[in-house]
Amino acid sequence: MTATYTSAERVDDALAALAAGARPVAGGTDLVVGARHGKAPLPESLVAIHDVAELRGITGSDGGLRLAAMVSHAEIVGHPDVRARYPALADASAIVGSHATRHVGTIGGNLMNASPAMETGGPLICFGAEAVLRSVRGERRVAVADLLVGPGSTSAEPDELLVAVLLPVQPRGAGSCYLRLEYRRHMEIAVVGVTCAVTLAAGGGVEQARIAITALAPTIRRVPEAEQALAGGGADAVSVAAVAVAAAAQPISDVRATADYRRAMAQVIARRAITAALARARGEHVPIPASPALHGAT
Amino acid sequence: MATVEQAPAAAPFIRQDGKDKVTGLGRYTADLSLTGMLYAKFRYADHTHARILRIDTARARQLPGVFAVITHADVPDVRYGAFVQDRTLFAKDVVRFEGELVAAVAALTPEIAAAAVELIEIDYEPLPAVADVEAALAEGATLVHEGWADYSAADEVVRDGNDCSRSTIVKGDIESGLASADVVVKERYVADMSHAVPIEPHAVVAQWNGDKVTVWSSTQVPFMARAGVATTLEMSEADVRIVVPLLGGGFGGKCEFHFEAQVAALARAARRPVRLVFSRREEFVAPDHRREGQVIELETGVMNDGTLVARRGRLVLDNGAYGADAPFFPQLAAMMAVGPYRVPHVSVDASLAYTNTAPSGSVRAPSAPQSCWAVEQHMDSIAGRLGIDPVELRRRNIVKPGDEGSTRQVYDAIGAAETLEKAAELIGYGRELPDDEAIGVACGFWPSFSMPSGAFVKIHGDGSGTIVTGAQECGTGAVMALPLLAAEVLCMRPEQFTIVYQDTDAGPWDAGASGSQTTFNNGRAVIQAAHDIREQLLDLAAEELEASRDDLELGDGMVRVKGSPTKSVEISALAETAAGDKLLLGRGSGSPPPVPDVDASGCTGRLGMESWVGPTFITHAVRCKVDRETGVVRVLEVAAAHDSGRVLNRIGADGQVEGGVVMGIGMALSEGIQLSDDGRQLNPYLLDYKLATASDAPPITVHWVEVPDPGAGPNGAKGVAEPPCVPTPGAIANAIAKVTGARVHRLPMTPTRVWEAMQS
Repeated sequence: MTATYTSAERVDDALAALAAGARPVAGGTDLVVGARHGKAPLPESLVAIHDVAELRGITGSDGGLRLAAMVSHAEIVGHPDVRARYPALADASAIVGSHATRHVGTIGGNLMNASPAMETGGPLICFGAEAVLRSVRGERRVAVADLLVGPGSTSAEPDELLVAVLLPVQPRGAGSCYLRLEYRRHMEIAVVGVTCAVTLAAGGGVEQARIAITALAPTIRRVPEAEQALAGGGADAVSVAAVAVAAAAQPISDVRATADYRRAMAQVIARRAITAALARARGEHVPIPASPALHGAT
Repeated sequence: MATVEQAPAAAPFIRQDGKDKVTGLGRYTADLSLTGMLYAKFRYADHTHARILRIDTARARQLPGVFAVITHADVPDVRYGAFVQDRTLFAKDVVRFEGELVAAVAALTPEIAAAAVELIEIDYEPLPAVADVEAALAEGATLVHEGWADYSAADEVVRDGNDCSRSTIVKGDIESGLASADVVVKERYVADMSHAVPIEPHAVVAQWNGDKVTVWSSTQVPFMARAGVATTLEMSEADVRIVVPLLGGGFGGKCEFHFEAQVAALARAARRPVRLVFSRREEFVAPDHRREGQVIELETGVMNDGTLVARRGRLVLDNGAYGADAPFFPQLAAMMAVGPYRVPHVSVDASLAYTNTAPSGSVRAPSAPQSCWAVEQHMDSIAGRLGIDPVELRRRNIVKPGDEGSTRQVYDAIGAAETLEKAAELIGYGRELPDDEAIGVACGFWPSFSMPSGAFVKIHGDGSGTIVTGAQECGTGAVMALPLLAAEVLCMRPEQFTIVYQDTDAGPWDAGASGSQTTFNNGRAVIQAAHDIREQLLDLAAEELEASRDDLELGDGMVRVKGSPTKSVEISALAETAAGDKLLLGRGSGSPPPVPDVDASGCTGRLGMESWVGPTFITHAVRCKVDRETGVVRVLEVAAAHDSGRVLNRIGADGQVEGGVVMGIGMALSEGIQLSDDGRQLNPYLLDYKLATASDAPPITVHWVEVPDPGAGPNGAKGVAEPPCVPTPGAIANAIAKVTGARVHRLPMTPTRVWEAMQS
């Protein structure tokens, strides 16, 4: 049970509190809901960061974008630059939880909760995003791929606060998509998720491909075999890459699905995600979020 | 049979509790706070089946802030149960499911209470757990209740070991019927258990005043709760008052008697008011009431022209650890196993097996959606074998007025066939569709329940009225619509009436929000009470207007002389006169419609379901899209045609169908309890017990086939609340099979199961 709750107005206040052992809370959609479900008790000491103005807003940064930690999923989905240049991230933020979750939940919370089923992790990894971590000891940048080290576990130190996520500039001819298997239309959690980000050469061939799997391994991670198959492949490259995704998956059987079903779906969802990313790279319209449209909804 | 196409004009009627519920002003049980109130927490069983060797509450009692710790030793040693008296308030000697109560704590804060229950020391001797229904009935199975034979029970209940209640329905000669058939189709289906999942979890507050206790409870059945408290705490019912603040839904899950007595006992021991509020997890593992799973084996003999000849059925329903109100479900499920069809030779055998899982109980149309899902898939399988269109097969067999049901009940005026035709027409059955879409159709039926009920109507000095009723509003709007009925009789406006309800010290006895019975029975009572007032008004007006009583009529808020509109007196003026002398008080209960006589000889385990008063008939047609690669199913459109007799409140009735359809979609595609081998629920939270959300709700077209039934309820009405739940899963199943070519034999039909069916 929480004994101390303070509210920070500046990042430095929050960092001081973290250095003294507090844990940060923003939207609380993971922390508070998790505590109510008995996942983990609320921390002894909390510092609320929702009033820290510096942690808000999406800004341009070296041709890319800087998402401050408190940017909500709703802001991400509504941002024209994200939609145009990083559509896989918009796909992901658009399907986190419910309408309410998306207005309260933040990119920072989603990332630092480090769930292997989180939506934004796959797109951030494929875009080569970096996390900006700050503490009273200073600031450092860590690739998101290196930040996520296990289920619910990051490489950040306990006193470090995620202040922003940096999305590097994307080359011309880029297209991306995040796709999730969805049993119902809202309030879903990923059982199988695949991100694909591609860059097409002038001739239309795949110059570069990044493919990541969500909820199919202990952490969200890229699948190099699938990327190579797609980038170097021939006419059946999409299918070969999708098979490689399924082969790389380490599915489990639980209340959400059997391992067999997960593996089979990894291939299906991978093929659809890759196809949609290629279509976007070619300038074709794929709605955001892509998941409902590619799942038989009308 | 002519059907009445036109629906009664839906008056712009705003239910009285609507604004409070929508704006958040409404107070629910969990919102109550009394001076000195303590917080309750239960200690649940640590095993799904174990003998209790020792309970030591000393450490819990010593925790600062703890005011009371109680166990079975602290309450009367009383066994209770609606049909079989098989349980106690707290576990006595043996625990039989994970949500069984072993002890309860009352403490200053919820946190102290939670810490205290962990300090209670319990030693167990684990026993083999029985989680599977068929294993429960197998030879030599571990008995869930070793002492079952010593329990008292209703005479009609047929019991044997783990079989808590067995019913059979027998008509004609099944063997010769099957032998005479051109084709025999045999199938097996399994439905998982599921939950009611009301938005409001269970909450109870109890406060003593001397020897009397008031219990505020989130119950659907306050009078049953009162009886339960009185029985188990060995009190007089007169000393128990149950009040229900606004109820946040129930769907049957808050029927019967739960937790009121435990919280009352805690409050007495603590000498303070005590409040219990369930967490969502508790609402899943310990609500004491959930929809039963079923194993359904069907064997049908049919002629090449589609005429059904014989139906054999074997059903096993899972009872969970205690009988609750479930012992009549086997008979109901056996009726469902034949469906609303003419079948001359019938033999259905249905059992209710004790298991070490949470007790099952009535959840909206108990037993029906599951068995209808199996029967209606079976009908489509038969149609496929014969090469007959599924709607045509139903058309050739569906019951019509004068036909005989499976217990030889002869149907009076019914509109079953009309519901089939109308649903097919509304969905555009037979039209061209994309190849990943299909239309599935399912028919179902459901009884109305005839019970006593009562109400008072008062007309105040200012001409406004109050209805005092024992009926319970569980969100359906049935109680909120009672003013419509009183206003119609008295030619007043519904908004002129207030309602006093949900207080056992105020309203006459009523069976509560269960069995779709509120309008059917309490509507009758309110209409009679209003007629009582009407007679009094006519007497007063006759005196006032110096006219013969026979020459008077009511209209527009006044009593007037027929043909002389100027000779009139306002009801409010009569009420004012009465207020100075004899008050305007009306009362009513009416006579419950009689249940038709049937010759159900040969049927056993008869618990009242062999004959149905006011039977309702339903056809749902659904258009689904199936993603063949993933098994994900989306319901795109539903047409629902219902024969519920005359519809008294169109807006309310339509809302019941819409909600029932969405509940049916959840049951069909995603809602199911997943169990561990020892009977624990593996998905006791909303992320993985997946309800259909508002976003999953398709457009729903509702049609009422209004057939006047002389045996029905008030003004020809039949039950409305439960039938909409019945055929939706079956219709969806048939649509899935049409798209995929594979039948899903397990409910819910999750994407994994649809996909697996396609692989095999």
